[in-house]
Amino acid sequence: MSEISTKYDRLIQDLRLEFRPQREWGEGRGVFLVIGHFLVGIAAGAWLFGLLFSYTGGLVIAFLLAGAGGIAHLAFLGRPERFWKMARHVRTSWISRGFVGLALFLAGAAAYLPPLLLAAWPWSSASALAQAGWLAAAVGMVVLIGYMGFVYTASKGIPFWNSPLHPILYVAHALRGGAAAMLVAVALLGPPDSNLTGSLIKVWIAITALVALLFVLEIHGALTGGNAASRRSAHELLAGRLAAAFYGGTLLIGLVVPAMLVGTRLAPLSLGVLAVIGLCSTLGDFFMKYTSIRAGVYLPLLPRRTTAR
Amino acid sequence: MRWGMVIDLKRCIGCYGCQLACKAEHGTPPGVYYARVLKQEEGQYPTVRQLSLPVLCNHCEDPPCVDACPTGASFKWEEDGIVDIDHDRCVGCRACMMACPYTNRYFNDQPPHYFPQGMTPYEEARTQRHQQNVVMKCNFCRDRVRAGKLPACVANCPTIARYFGDLDDPLSEVSVLIKERGGFTLHPEIGTGPSVYYLPP
Repeated sequence: MSEISTKYDRLIQDLRLEFRPQREWGEGRGVFLVIGHFLVGIAAGAWLFGLLFSYTGGLVIAFLLAGAGGIAHLAFLGRPERFWKMARHVRTSWISRGFVGLALFLAGAAAYLPPLLLAAWPWSSASALAQAGWLAAAVGMVVLIGYMGFVYTASKGIPFWNSPLHPILYVAHALRGGAAAMLVAVALLGPPDSNLTGSLIKVWIAITALVALLFVLEIHGALTGGNAASRRSAHELLAGRLAAAFYGGTLLIGLVVPAMLVGTRLAPLSLGVLAVIGLCSTLGDFFMKYTSIRAGVYLPLLPRRTTAR
Repeated sequence: MRWGMVIDLKRCIGCYGCQLACKAEHGTPPGVYYARVLKQEEGQYPTVRQLSLPVLCNHCEDPPCVDACPTGASFKWEEDGIVDIDHDRCVGCRACMMACPYTNRYFNDQPPHYFPQGMTPYEEARTQRHQQNVVMKCNFCRDRVRAGKLPACVANCPTIARYFGDLDDPLSEVSVLIKERGGFTLHPEIGTGPSVYYLPP
């Protein structure tokens, strides 16, 4: 009963605030949405790099992560038993498009992967079914890499997310997560050839620089733009209730530690170090998404400080 | 036809009558407010004034919540422009809450009673009928309107600060008030075309 009362009291308190924080995505069961987006983004990126580098281990990890991401999404929904209804509104809804993309990806990967792993599988990797699976998974991958940023940009109630840079940032996140997942996969499963590790590190460095640049531009836009709610969100991220998670998780774990390992060569790039770089990068991505989502505040209805009941 | 509402901020005294009438009409659970009243104090003592701003779903002409909904649970009635929710379709993803620039949607994830002892007979009769773990919002009391009545918040406003009518009819009371008294909407810059107008205080 006390938990119920606490939640109700907090809502009443929030309704009185000038900048009401959004709590539905990121708090309580809402954290499963962040986890779902995080896992699905990494999965799509890992699938892309798995295909580019012809690395089956990366494809397997991508498939598993996408499955876990789908389960996390279901855990988030208020009515998960109705999940199939989300395919109905692809014409306008980015969530619906993402759902179709994930379904295509999982179905396609399930048709394409098994013959790559098992020689005795009923159909071969050159069969029409496997090739159709490859195509479906590729289409799903493109949708998954692209749709998430638009889910947030379409949220007109949260000006901080309503930025044209957000979709590009999420694409870059997916690619960075994919490269990081490949690093972990290579460390766990072993590299197929010696060139892959060096190429992956170069890709990871380039994408990390892109993510950092886009993030700085987005924060700069929020701080200098005319919208007070965006400024408040940026403040929450940099100096407010999310600052510890942002500096500790996003910057220290996600950027500084892997950058030191890569850049200063404190340790040779052994498979163990590659795994640490990949895991730190991935954790940093999670914190970046989590803090950005939690920093969202609703557009105020009154221009100045209000109290509401 | 496009139903719309005009709220006269000069007449509104911030009594919360609309909020209570709405609660009584719909039996909304704790944490769900189809109608509520924001208050703002302006000026410095002794020259101060308090502005009351009643808010509700704006039943936008171009509703972003409808576009964001993945299942079609949020929809707009073509015949009268009312934005509504089919709760049997809602999956509780809350995308509509993030899309609504007026923050007038609520996720019903709390037990349908206010008191720790459990449900009162009233709550058993009225509140329990609402589905849990779905999003809820104002529907301009569509059942009442179709029966020829006014929405509960309009019918129960003691200062007659609320008016309800057809925005498409230039001779309707709401259209005339908007034209003659300079009716405005909240956040017109977003371009959603709200159907709730305010008359300046």
